[in-house]
Amino acid sequence: MFALVDCNNFYPSCERVFNPKLEGKPVIVLSNNDGCAIARSEEAKALGVEMGTPAHMIEDLIREKDIQVYSSNYALYGDLSDRVMTILATFVPKMECYSIDEAFLDASELHDQNLRQLGLAIRETVKQHTGLPVSVGIAPTKTLAKIANRYVKKKKIAGGVHWLSTAADIGEVLQFTKVGDIWGIGPERAKVCLRHGFKTAFDLSLAPDDWVLKEMTVAGHRLLQELRGIACIEWELEPPPKKNIGSSRSFGKLMTQKIDIEQAVANYMATCAAKLRKQRSCAGKIHVFIQTNPFRTEDAQYFRSITMPIPVATNSTPELVRYALKALDIIFKPEFKYLKVGVMVLDLVPENQTQSGMFDSKDRGKDRLIMKTVDTLNNALGKDLVRFAVQGFENRYKLRAAHISPRYTTLITDIVKITA
Amino acid sequence: MGFPSPALDYQEDRISLDKEIIQHPNATYFMRMDGLSMVSAFIPPGALLVVDRSLIPKNMDIVIATVGGEFMARYLRKNDVKAWLVPANSKMQEQLITPELAVTIWGVVIAVVTEPNKLSTDVCPR
Repeated sequence: MFALVDCNNFYPSCERVFNPKLEGKPVIVLSNNDGCAIARSEEAKALGVEMGTPAHMIEDLIREKDIQVYSSNYALYGDLSDRVMTILATFVPKMECYSIDEAFLDASELHDQNLRQLGLAIRETVKQHTGLPVSVGIAPTKTLAKIANRYVKKKKIAGGVHWLSTAADIGEVLQFTKVGDIWGIGPERAKVCLRHGFKTAFDLSLAPDDWVLKEMTVAGHRLLQELRGIACIEWELEPPPKKNIGSSRSFGKLMTQKIDIEQAVANYMATCAAKLRKQRSCAGKIHVFIQTNPFRTEDAQYFRSITMPIPVATNSTPELVRYALKALDIIFKPEFKYLKVGVMVLDLVPENQTQSGMFDSKDRGKDRLIMKTVDTLNNALGKDLVRFAVQGFENRYKLRAAHISPRYTTLITDIVKITA
Repeated sequence: MGFPSPALDYQEDRISLDKEIIQHPNATYFMRMDGLSMVSAFIPPGALLVVDRSLIPKNMDIVIATVGGEFMARYLRKNDVKAWLVPANSKMQEQLITPELAVTIWGVVIAVVTEPNKLSTDVCPR
Protein backbone atom coordinates (compact mmCIF):
# COMPACT_ATOMS: atom_id res chain seq x y z
CA MET A 1 0.00 0.00 0.00
CA PHE A 2 1.17 3.49 -0.89
CA ALA A 3 -0.03 6.74 0.65
CA LEU A 4 0.45 9.92 -1.32
CA VAL A 5 0.40 12.95 0.96
CA ASP A 6 0.12 16.26 -0.85
CA CYS A 7 -0.10 19.74 0.65
CA ASN A 8 -3.15 21.64 -0.60
CA ASN A 9 -2.17 24.76 -2.58
CA PHE A 10 1.19 24.63 -0.82
CA TYR A 11 2.63 28.10 -1.49
CA PRO A 12 -0.54 30.09 -0.69
CA SER A 13 -1.08 27.89 2.37
CA CYS A 14 2.46 28.70 3.59
CA GLU A 15 1.71 32.42 3.25
CA ARG A 16 -1.49 31.96 5.27
CA VAL A 17 0.21 30.27 8.21
CA PHE A 18 2.06 33.47 9.07
CA ASN A 19 -0.54 35.89 7.74
CA PRO A 20 -3.95 34.73 8.98
CA LYS A 21 -5.61 37.74 7.36
CA LEU A 22 -5.28 35.85 4.07
CA GLU A 23 -7.73 33.19 5.27
CA GLY A 24 -10.72 33.07 2.94
CA LYS A 25 -9.18 35.53 0.47
CA PRO A 26 -7.97 34.70 -3.02
CA VAL A 27 -4.16 34.34 -2.96
CA ILE A 28 -1.75 33.75 -5.84
CA VAL A 29 2.01 33.20 -5.81
CA LEU A 30 4.10 34.28 -8.80
CA SER A 31 7.03 32.53 -10.44
CA ASN A 32 10.61 33.81 -10.18
CA ASN A 33 10.82 37.40 -11.36
CA ASP A 34 7.10 37.86 -10.67
CA GLY A 35 6.23 36.44 -14.07
CA CYS A 36 3.27 34.05 -13.92
CA ALA A 37 0.83 32.69 -11.36
CA ILE A 38 2.30 29.34 -10.30
CA ALA A 39 0.13 28.66 -7.26
CA ARG A 40 -3.44 29.62 -6.42
CA SER A 41 -5.64 29.34 -3.38
CA GLU A 42 -9.08 27.73 -3.88
CA GLU A 43 -10.64 31.22 -3.93
CA ALA A 44 -8.27 32.34 -6.70
CA LYS A 45 -9.04 29.20 -8.71
CA ALA A 46 -12.75 29.95 -8.34
CA LEU A 47 -12.15 33.42 -9.80
CA GLY A 48 -10.79 31.73 -12.91
CA VAL A 49 -7.07 32.46 -12.47
CA GLU A 50 -5.42 29.74 -14.56
CA MET A 51 -2.10 28.09 -13.75
CA GLY A 52 0.71 29.92 -15.54
CA THR A 53 -1.21 33.10 -16.35
CA PRO A 54 1.22 36.04 -16.69
CA ALA A 55 0.57 38.46 -13.83
CA HIS A 56 0.30 41.49 -16.09
CA MET A 57 -2.59 39.89 -17.96
CA ILE A 58 -4.79 39.72 -14.88
CA GLU A 59 -3.98 43.11 -13.35
CA ASP A 60 -7.61 44.24 -13.60
CA LEU A 61 -8.96 41.06 -12.02
CA ILE A 62 -6.41 41.37 -9.21
CA ARG A 63 -7.55 44.92 -8.46
CA GLU A 64 -11.27 44.21 -8.82
CA LYS A 65 -11.37 41.06 -6.70
CA ASP A 66 -8.65 42.12 -4.26
CA ILE A 67 -6.51 39.09 -5.08
CA GLN A 68 -3.52 38.91 -2.74
CA VAL A 69 -0.36 38.58 -4.80
CA TYR A 70 2.93 37.15 -3.51
CA SER A 71 6.39 36.68 -5.02
CA SER A 72 7.70 33.19 -4.40
CA ASN A 73 9.41 32.95 -1.00
CA TYR A 74 11.41 29.75 -1.39
CA ALA A 75 13.24 30.20 1.92
CA LEU A 76 9.87 29.92 3.67
CA TYR A 77 8.39 27.18 1.46
CA GLY A 78 11.60 25.14 1.73
CA ASP A 79 11.63 25.28 5.52
CA LEU A 80 7.94 24.38 5.86
CA SER A 81 8.44 21.55 3.37
CA ASP A 82 11.30 20.21 5.53
CA ARG A 83 9.06 20.31 8.57
CA VAL A 84 6.24 18.47 6.77
CA MET A 85 8.60 15.78 5.42
CA THR A 86 10.19 15.20 8.84
CA ILE A 87 6.75 14.84 10.42
CA LEU A 88 5.61 12.40 7.70
CA ALA A 89 8.74 10.30 8.22
CA THR A 90 7.65 9.57 11.79
CA PHE A 91 4.56 7.67 10.58
CA VAL A 92 6.08 5.05 8.27
CA PRO A 93 9.27 3.01 7.91
CA LYS A 94 9.98 4.26 4.38
CA MET A 95 9.05 7.29 2.31
CA GLU A 96 9.97 9.09 -0.87
CA CYS A 97 9.89 12.90 -1.09
CA TYR A 98 8.43 13.29 -4.53
CA SER A 99 8.41 17.09 -4.74
CA ILE A 100 8.51 20.13 -2.46
CA ASP A 101 4.93 19.47 -1.35
CA GLU A 102 4.22 15.77 -1.79
CA ALA A 103 5.60 12.44 -0.62
CA PHE A 104 4.86 8.76 -1.14
CA LEU A 105 4.67 6.84 2.15
CA ASP A 106 5.13 3.10 2.44
CA ALA A 107 2.04 1.85 4.23
CA SER A 108 2.58 -1.84 3.41
CA GLU A 109 3.91 -2.85 6.81
CA LEU A 110 0.82 -1.40 8.44
CA HIS A 111 -1.45 -3.76 6.57
CA ASP A 112 -3.73 -4.75 9.42
CA GLN A 113 -4.32 -1.23 10.61
CA ASN A 114 -7.18 0.80 9.30
CA LEU A 115 -5.32 2.92 6.79
CA ARG A 116 -8.00 5.60 6.75
CA GLN A 117 -7.19 6.16 10.42
CA LEU A 118 -3.52 6.48 9.50
CA GLY A 119 -4.41 9.05 6.83
CA LEU A 120 -6.52 11.06 9.28
CA ALA A 121 -3.75 11.01 11.90
CA ILE A 122 -1.21 12.24 9.34
CA ARG A 123 -3.50 15.05 8.24
CA GLU A 124 -4.30 16.09 11.78
CA THR A 125 -0.66 16.09 12.90
CA VAL A 126 0.68 18.02 9.91
CA LYS A 127 -2.09 20.61 10.30
CA GLN A 128 -1.46 20.99 14.02
CA HIS A 129 2.34 21.21 13.80
CA THR A 130 2.68 23.37 10.70
CA GLY A 131 -0.73 24.88 10.01
CA LEU A 132 -0.70 23.36 6.51
CA PRO A 133 -3.67 21.37 5.14
CA VAL A 134 -2.83 18.13 3.31
CA SER A 135 -4.76 15.52 1.34
CA VAL A 136 -4.01 11.82 1.52
CA GLY A 137 -4.67 9.16 -1.12
CA ILE A 138 -4.02 5.54 -0.16
CA ALA A 139 -3.94 2.73 -2.70
CA PRO A 140 -2.11 -0.45 -3.78
CA THR A 141 0.06 1.39 -6.37
CA LYS A 142 1.71 4.78 -6.70
CA THR A 143 -0.42 5.69 -9.72
CA LEU A 144 -3.64 4.80 -7.91
CA ALA A 145 -2.49 6.71 -4.80
CA LYS A 146 -1.96 9.77 -7.00
CA ILE A 147 -5.43 9.30 -8.51
CA ALA A 148 -7.01 8.82 -5.08
CA ASN A 149 -5.34 12.01 -3.86
CA ARG A 150 -6.64 13.99 -6.80
CA TYR A 151 -10.10 12.54 -6.13
CA VAL A 152 -9.96 13.86 -2.54
CA LYS A 153 -9.24 17.37 -3.80
CA LYS A 154 -11.68 17.45 -6.70
CA LYS A 155 -14.55 15.88 -4.73
CA LYS A 156 -13.66 17.73 -1.52
CA ILE A 157 -13.84 14.44 0.38
CA ALA A 158 -14.62 15.02 4.06
CA GLY A 159 -11.60 14.34 6.26
CA GLY A 160 -9.22 14.86 3.35
CA VAL A 161 -8.39 11.16 3.12
CA HIS A 162 -9.40 8.50 0.60
CA TRP A 163 -8.38 4.86 0.91
CA LEU A 164 -8.96 2.55 -2.02
CA SER A 165 -9.45 -0.55 0.07
CA THR A 166 -11.67 -2.56 -2.31
CA ALA A 167 -11.94 -3.18 -6.04
CA ALA A 168 -15.17 -1.17 -6.00
CA ASP A 169 -13.36 1.85 -4.53
CA ILE A 170 -10.72 1.60 -7.24
CA GLY A 171 -13.36 1.30 -9.96
CA GLU A 172 -15.13 4.39 -8.73
CA VAL A 173 -12.09 6.70 -8.82
CA LEU A 174 -10.97 5.27 -12.16
CA GLN A 175 -14.39 6.09 -13.64
CA PHE A 176 -14.06 9.61 -12.28
CA THR A 177 -10.57 10.21 -13.73
CA LYS A 178 -10.16 11.26 -17.37
CA VAL A 179 -7.21 9.68 -19.20
CA GLY A 180 -5.53 13.08 -19.56
CA ASP A 181 -5.53 13.48 -15.78
CA ILE A 182 -3.67 10.24 -15.10
CA TRP A 183 -0.22 10.74 -13.61
CA GLY A 184 2.30 10.01 -16.37
CA ILE A 185 0.00 10.48 -19.36
CA GLY A 186 0.88 13.55 -21.40
CA PRO A 187 -1.43 15.41 -23.81
CA GLU A 188 -0.16 13.41 -26.83
CA ARG A 189 -0.78 10.03 -25.20
CA ALA A 190 -4.16 11.23 -24.00
CA LYS A 191 -5.15 12.03 -27.58
CA VAL A 192 -4.16 8.54 -28.74
CA CYS A 193 -6.27 7.02 -25.96
CA LEU A 194 -9.28 9.19 -26.78
CA ARG A 195 -9.02 8.33 -30.47
CA HIS A 196 -9.35 4.68 -29.53
CA GLY A 197 -12.33 5.28 -27.29
CA PHE A 198 -10.58 5.19 -23.91
CA LYS A 199 -12.07 8.18 -22.12
CA THR A 200 -11.49 7.44 -18.45
CA ALA A 201 -8.81 5.71 -16.45
CA PHE A 202 -11.34 2.91 -16.01
CA ASP A 203 -11.64 2.43 -19.80
CA LEU A 204 -7.87 2.36 -20.08
CA SER A 205 -7.49 -0.19 -17.31
CA LEU A 206 -9.55 -2.59 -19.47
CA ALA A 207 -7.49 -1.95 -22.62
CA PRO A 208 -5.90 -5.02 -24.24
CA ASP A 209 -2.27 -5.48 -23.15
CA ASP A 210 -0.90 -5.83 -26.66
CA TRP A 211 -2.62 -2.64 -27.82
CA VAL A 212 -1.09 -0.70 -24.92
CA LEU A 213 2.34 -2.20 -25.58
CA LYS A 214 2.11 -1.23 -29.24
CA GLU A 215 0.70 2.29 -28.82
CA MET A 216 2.18 3.35 -25.50
CA THR A 217 5.38 1.28 -25.17
CA VAL A 218 6.61 -0.49 -22.06
CA ALA A 219 6.20 2.61 -19.90
CA GLY A 220 2.53 2.76 -20.86
CA HIS A 221 2.07 -0.89 -20.07
CA ARG A 222 3.62 -0.41 -16.65
CA LEU A 223 1.08 2.35 -16.07
CA LEU A 224 -1.72 0.01 -17.15
CA GLN A 225 -0.60 -2.54 -14.59
CA GLU A 226 -0.51 0.17 -11.95
CA LEU A 227 -4.11 1.13 -12.78
CA ARG A 228 -5.05 -2.52 -12.33
CA GLY A 229 -3.56 -2.50 -8.86
CA ILE A 230 -0.24 -4.21 -9.61
CA ALA A 231 2.61 -2.07 -8.26
CA CYS A 232 5.28 -1.57 -10.93
CA ILE A 233 6.80 1.80 -10.14
CA GLU A 234 9.68 1.33 -7.76
CA TRP A 235 10.62 3.39 -4.74
CA GLU A 236 13.07 6.14 -5.51
CA LEU A 237 14.48 6.75 -2.09
CA GLU A 238 17.62 8.57 -3.21
CA PRO A 239 17.31 10.87 -6.18
CA PRO A 240 19.70 9.67 -8.91
CA PRO A 241 22.59 12.12 -9.53
CA LYS A 242 21.54 14.59 -12.18
CA LYS A 243 22.91 14.20 -15.68
CA ASN A 244 23.36 17.91 -16.14
CA ILE A 245 22.80 20.96 -13.99
CA GLY A 246 21.73 24.34 -15.21
CA SER A 247 21.07 27.79 -13.88
CA SER A 248 19.42 30.52 -15.89
CA ARG A 249 17.11 33.38 -15.22
CA SER A 250 15.63 36.45 -16.75
CA PHE A 251 17.08 39.69 -15.51
CA GLY A 252 14.75 42.00 -13.62
CA LYS A 253 15.32 44.50 -16.45
CA LEU A 254 17.12 44.55 -19.79
CA MET A 255 20.93 44.57 -19.51
CA THR A 256 23.45 46.10 -21.88
CA GLN A 257 26.67 46.31 -19.87
CA LYS A 258 29.02 43.38 -20.30
CA ILE A 259 30.22 43.61 -16.71
CA ASP A 260 26.68 43.01 -15.38
CA ILE A 261 26.22 40.00 -17.60
CA GLU A 262 29.64 38.65 -16.61
CA GLN A 263 28.57 38.95 -12.99
CA ALA A 264 25.37 37.01 -13.64
CA VAL A 265 27.25 34.28 -15.52
CA ALA A 266 29.79 34.02 -12.69
CA ASN A 267 27.02 33.72 -10.11
CA TYR A 268 25.04 31.12 -12.03
CA MET A 269 28.19 29.10 -12.62
CA ALA A 270 29.08 29.36 -8.93
CA THR A 271 25.61 27.95 -8.10
CA CYS A 272 26.12 25.07 -10.57
CA ALA A 273 29.60 24.36 -9.18
CA ALA A 274 28.27 24.20 -5.62
CA LYS A 275 25.54 21.77 -6.78
CA LEU A 276 28.16 19.65 -8.54
CA ARG A 277 30.23 19.44 -5.37
CA LYS A 278 27.16 18.57 -3.35
CA GLN A 279 26.44 15.52 -5.51
CA ARG A 280 30.19 14.78 -5.87
CA SER A 281 30.34 15.15 -9.62
CA CYS A 282 32.64 16.96 -12.02
CA ALA A 283 31.69 18.54 -15.34
CA GLY A 284 33.44 17.79 -18.62
CA LYS A 285 31.64 20.45 -20.65
CA ILE A 286 29.91 23.77 -20.10
CA HIS A 287 27.18 25.49 -22.05
CA VAL A 288 26.48 29.22 -21.96
CA PHE A 289 23.65 31.08 -23.69
CA ILE A 290 22.54 34.67 -23.96
CA GLN A 291 19.34 36.15 -25.37
CA THR A 292 17.39 39.35 -25.93
CA ASN A 293 13.68 39.75 -25.12
CA PRO A 294 11.75 38.06 -27.96
CA PHE A 295 8.55 39.83 -26.95
CA ARG A 296 10.01 43.28 -27.54
CA THR A 297 9.60 43.23 -31.28
CA GLU A 298 10.88 46.80 -31.52
CA ASP A 299 14.33 45.64 -30.29
CA ALA A 300 16.97 43.94 -32.42
CA GLN A 301 16.98 40.23 -31.58
CA TYR A 302 19.94 38.03 -30.76
CA PHE A 303 20.34 34.53 -29.39
CA ARG A 304 23.57 32.64 -29.20
CA SER A 305 24.77 29.65 -27.26
CA ILE A 306 28.06 27.86 -27.05
CA THR A 307 29.20 24.53 -25.65
CA MET A 308 32.81 24.26 -24.55
CA PRO A 309 34.75 21.17 -23.46
CA ILE A 310 36.92 21.43 -20.35
CA PRO A 311 40.28 19.65 -20.57
CA VAL A 312 40.04 18.07 -17.12
CA ALA A 313 36.56 17.53 -15.65
CA THR A 314 36.19 19.77 -12.61
CA ASN A 315 33.80 21.17 -10.00
CA SER A 316 36.01 24.03 -8.85
CA THR A 317 34.20 27.37 -8.92
CA PRO A 318 37.09 29.55 -10.16
CA GLU A 319 37.95 27.11 -12.92
CA LEU A 320 34.38 26.74 -14.15
CA VAL A 321 33.77 30.48 -13.90
CA ARG A 322 36.91 31.16 -15.95
CA TYR A 323 35.68 28.87 -18.74
CA ALA A 324 32.17 30.32 -18.58
CA LEU A 325 33.51 33.87 -18.97
CA LYS A 326 35.68 32.74 -21.86
CA ALA A 327 32.56 31.31 -23.49
CA LEU A 328 30.60 34.50 -22.84
CA ASP A 329 33.43 36.49 -24.42
CA ILE A 330 32.91 34.59 -27.65
CA ILE A 331 29.13 35.03 -27.90
CA PHE A 332 28.61 38.47 -26.32
CA LYS A 333 27.81 41.36 -28.70
CA PRO A 334 27.63 44.84 -27.17
CA GLU A 335 24.86 46.24 -29.38
CA PHE A 336 21.92 44.30 -27.90
CA LYS A 337 19.70 44.58 -24.85
CA TYR A 338 19.79 41.27 -23.02
CA LEU A 339 16.98 39.71 -21.04
CA LYS A 340 18.39 36.36 -20.08
CA VAL A 341 21.60 34.42 -19.69
CA GLY A 342 22.12 30.90 -18.53
CA VAL A 343 24.82 28.37 -17.93
CA MET A 344 24.77 24.61 -17.81
CA VAL A 345 27.32 22.00 -16.86
CA LEU A 346 27.30 18.78 -18.89
CA ASP A 347 29.07 15.43 -19.23
CA LEU A 348 29.03 14.88 -15.51
CA VAL A 349 31.28 12.21 -14.04
CA PRO A 350 31.69 11.09 -10.44
CA GLU A 351 34.33 13.13 -8.64
CA ASN A 352 36.60 10.14 -8.06
CA GLN A 353 36.55 9.02 -11.69
CA THR A 354 37.97 12.10 -13.41
CA GLN A 355 40.78 11.55 -15.85
CA SER A 356 43.73 13.85 -15.37
CA GLY A 357 45.21 15.51 -18.40
CA MET A 358 48.75 14.82 -19.52
CA PHE A 359 49.69 18.48 -19.38
CA ASP A 360 47.62 19.35 -16.35
CA SER A 361 49.79 21.39 -14.02
CA LYS A 362 47.06 22.49 -11.63
CA ASP A 363 47.32 21.71 -7.93
CA ARG A 364 43.93 19.98 -7.70
CA GLY A 365 44.31 18.94 -4.08
CA LYS A 366 44.72 22.55 -3.01
CA ASP A 367 41.79 23.60 -5.19
CA ARG A 368 39.55 20.99 -3.59
CA LEU A 369 40.54 22.14 -0.11
CA ILE A 370 39.69 25.76 -0.99
CA MET A 371 36.28 24.81 -2.39
CA LYS A 372 35.52 22.64 0.60
CA THR A 373 36.28 25.56 2.90
CA VAL A 374 34.13 27.92 0.82
CA ASP A 375 31.21 25.45 0.90
CA THR A 376 31.49 24.96 4.65
CA LEU A 377 31.53 28.70 5.30
CA ASN A 378 28.63 29.37 2.95
CA ASN A 379 26.56 26.56 4.42
CA ALA A 380 27.15 27.83 7.94
CA LEU A 381 26.94 31.56 7.38
CA GLY A 382 24.62 32.02 4.44
CA LYS A 383 24.57 31.45 0.71
CA ASP A 384 27.24 33.31 -1.22
CA LEU A 385 28.87 34.90 1.82
CA VAL A 386 32.26 33.83 0.52
CA ARG A 387 32.43 34.46 -3.18
CA PHE A 388 34.83 35.14 -5.98
CA ALA A 389 35.39 38.80 -6.85
CA VAL A 390 33.98 38.41 -10.36
CA GLN A 391 30.62 37.42 -8.86
CA GLY A 392 30.37 41.01 -7.64
CA PHE A 393 28.85 42.24 -4.42
CA GLU A 394 25.70 43.89 -5.55
CA ASN A 395 23.09 42.01 -7.41
CA ARG A 396 22.07 44.34 -10.18
CA TYR A 397 20.77 41.40 -12.13
CA LYS A 398 18.82 40.20 -9.11
CA LEU A 399 15.34 38.80 -9.41
CA ARG A 400 12.31 40.98 -9.31
CA ALA A 401 10.35 40.01 -6.19
CA ALA A 402 8.16 43.00 -5.45
CA HIS A 403 5.63 41.11 -3.32
CA ILE A 404 7.81 38.81 -1.26
CA SER A 405 6.75 38.01 2.31
CA PRO A 406 9.20 37.90 5.25
CA ARG A 407 11.37 34.82 5.78
CA TYR A 408 9.36 34.04 8.92
CA THR A 409 11.22 30.87 9.91
CA THR A 410 14.77 31.34 8.66
CA LEU A 411 15.69 34.95 9.49
CA ILE A 412 15.39 36.27 13.05
CA THR A 413 14.70 39.85 11.92
CA ASP A 414 11.77 38.58 9.80
CA ILE A 415 9.78 36.75 12.49
CA VAL A 416 6.12 37.61 13.16
CA LYS A 417 5.60 40.64 15.43
CA ILE A 418 2.87 40.38 18.05
CA THR A 419 1.49 43.88 18.40
CA ALA A 420 -1.64 43.11 20.36
CA MET B 1 52.35 14.32 22.82
CA GLY B 2 51.92 15.08 26.51
CA PHE B 3 49.47 13.33 28.81
CA PRO B 4 46.04 12.17 27.65
CA SER B 5 43.25 14.18 29.25
CA PRO B 6 41.77 12.43 32.29
CA ALA B 7 38.42 13.99 31.27
CA LEU B 8 38.32 12.04 28.00
CA ASP B 9 36.11 9.25 29.31
CA TYR B 10 33.73 11.73 30.89
CA GLN B 11 33.08 13.94 27.87
CA GLU B 12 29.52 15.19 27.62
CA ASP B 13 27.62 17.46 25.28
CA ARG B 14 27.65 21.09 26.34
CA ILE B 15 24.33 22.52 27.54
CA SER B 16 22.32 23.83 24.61
CA LEU B 17 19.53 26.37 25.05
CA ASP B 18 17.80 25.03 21.95
CA LYS B 19 17.76 21.48 23.28
CA GLU B 20 16.66 22.57 26.75
CA ILE B 21 13.70 24.60 25.54
CA ILE B 22 12.55 23.06 22.27
CA GLN B 23 10.89 19.67 22.50
CA HIS B 24 9.25 19.61 19.08
CA PRO B 25 11.64 21.30 16.63
CA ASN B 26 9.37 20.72 13.63
CA ALA B 27 6.47 22.44 15.37
CA THR B 28 8.38 25.29 17.01
CA TYR B 29 8.46 28.85 15.70
CA PHE B 30 9.81 32.18 16.93
CA MET B 31 7.84 35.41 17.26
CA ARG B 32 8.65 38.88 18.61
CA MET B 33 6.49 40.56 21.28
CA ASP B 34 5.87 44.14 20.29
CA GLY B 35 3.10 45.35 22.62
CA LEU B 36 2.22 45.68 26.31
CA SER B 37 -0.60 43.13 26.51
CA MET B 38 1.44 40.57 28.51
CA VAL B 39 3.74 42.89 30.38
CA SER B 40 2.63 41.68 33.84
CA ALA B 41 3.46 38.11 32.82
CA PHE B 42 7.12 39.10 32.41
CA ILE B 43 6.81 39.51 28.66
CA PRO B 44 8.07 43.01 27.80
CA PRO B 45 7.95 44.48 24.30
CA GLY B 46 11.01 43.20 22.45
CA ALA B 47 10.94 39.74 24.06
CA LEU B 48 11.49 36.72 21.86
CA LEU B 49 8.65 34.20 22.11
CA VAL B 50 9.24 30.51 21.51
CA VAL B 51 5.97 29.03 20.25
CA ASP B 52 5.13 25.32 20.05
CA ARG B 53 2.20 24.49 17.76
CA SER B 54 2.02 20.83 18.68
CA LEU B 55 0.76 21.41 22.24
CA ILE B 56 -2.89 21.46 23.28
CA PRO B 57 -3.19 24.53 25.54
CA LYS B 58 -4.10 23.96 29.17
CA ASN B 59 -6.03 26.42 31.32
CA MET B 60 -3.95 29.62 31.81
CA ASP B 61 -1.25 28.71 29.29
CA ILE B 62 0.08 31.72 27.41
CA VAL B 63 -0.94 31.32 23.80
CA ILE B 64 -0.60 33.00 20.44
CA ALA B 65 -4.14 33.43 19.15
CA THR B 66 -5.51 34.92 15.98
CA VAL B 67 -8.61 37.04 16.34
CA GLY B 68 -10.19 38.08 13.06
CA GLY B 69 -6.86 37.47 11.32
CA GLU B 70 -4.84 39.47 13.87
CA PHE B 71 -2.11 37.85 15.98
CA MET B 72 -2.17 38.39 19.74
CA ALA B 73 -0.51 36.98 22.87
CA ARG B 74 -2.86 36.17 25.81
CA TYR B 75 -3.51 33.81 28.67
CA LEU B 76 -6.08 31.22 27.65
CA ARG B 77 -8.50 30.79 30.54
CA LYS B 78 -11.01 28.03 30.08
CA ASN B 79 -13.50 25.83 31.88
CA ASP B 80 -15.73 23.05 30.59
CA VAL B 81 -18.05 25.37 28.68
CA LYS B 82 -16.35 28.68 28.02
CA ALA B 83 -12.95 30.15 27.23
CA TRP B 84 -11.46 33.63 27.44
CA LEU B 85 -8.41 35.43 26.10
CA VAL B 86 -6.96 37.28 29.07
CA PRO B 87 -4.27 39.98 28.82
CA ALA B 88 -1.63 40.40 31.54
CA ASN B 89 -2.20 44.12 31.67
CA SER B 90 -4.71 45.71 34.04
CA LYS B 91 -5.51 48.45 31.49
CA MET B 92 -6.82 45.91 29.00
CA GLN B 93 -10.04 43.89 28.78
CA GLU B 94 -10.40 40.13 28.65
CA GLN B 95 -12.42 38.67 25.80
CA LEU B 96 -14.90 35.81 25.87
CA ILE B 97 -14.27 33.55 22.90
CA THR B 98 -17.37 33.38 20.71
CA PRO B 99 -17.84 31.99 17.20
CA GLU B 100 -18.31 35.55 15.83
CA LEU B 101 -14.83 36.56 17.03
CA ALA B 102 -13.24 34.02 14.65
CA VAL B 103 -10.55 32.94 17.12
CA THR B 104 -7.92 30.31 16.43
CA ILE B 105 -5.21 29.18 18.82
CA TRP B 106 -2.01 29.33 16.75
CA GLY B 107 0.38 27.88 19.33
CA VAL B 108 1.49 27.78 22.95
CA VAL B 109 4.26 30.07 24.23
CA ILE B 110 6.77 27.70 25.86
CA ALA B 111 9.56 30.17 26.59
CA VAL B 112 10.27 33.89 26.67
CA VAL B 113 13.78 35.08 25.92
CA THR B 114 14.68 38.63 26.91
CA GLU B 115 18.02 40.24 26.22
CA PRO B 116 18.10 43.11 28.75
CA ASN B 117 20.55 45.21 26.79
CA LYS B 118 18.31 45.09 23.75
CA LEU B 119 15.08 46.08 25.54
CA SER B 120 13.89 49.66 25.52
CA THR B 121 14.85 51.58 28.69
CA ASP B 122 11.13 52.22 29.39
CA VAL B 123 10.69 48.54 30.25
CA CYS B 124 14.18 47.82 31.51
CA PRO B 125 15.66 50.96 33.16
CA ARG B 126 19.44 51.17 33.36
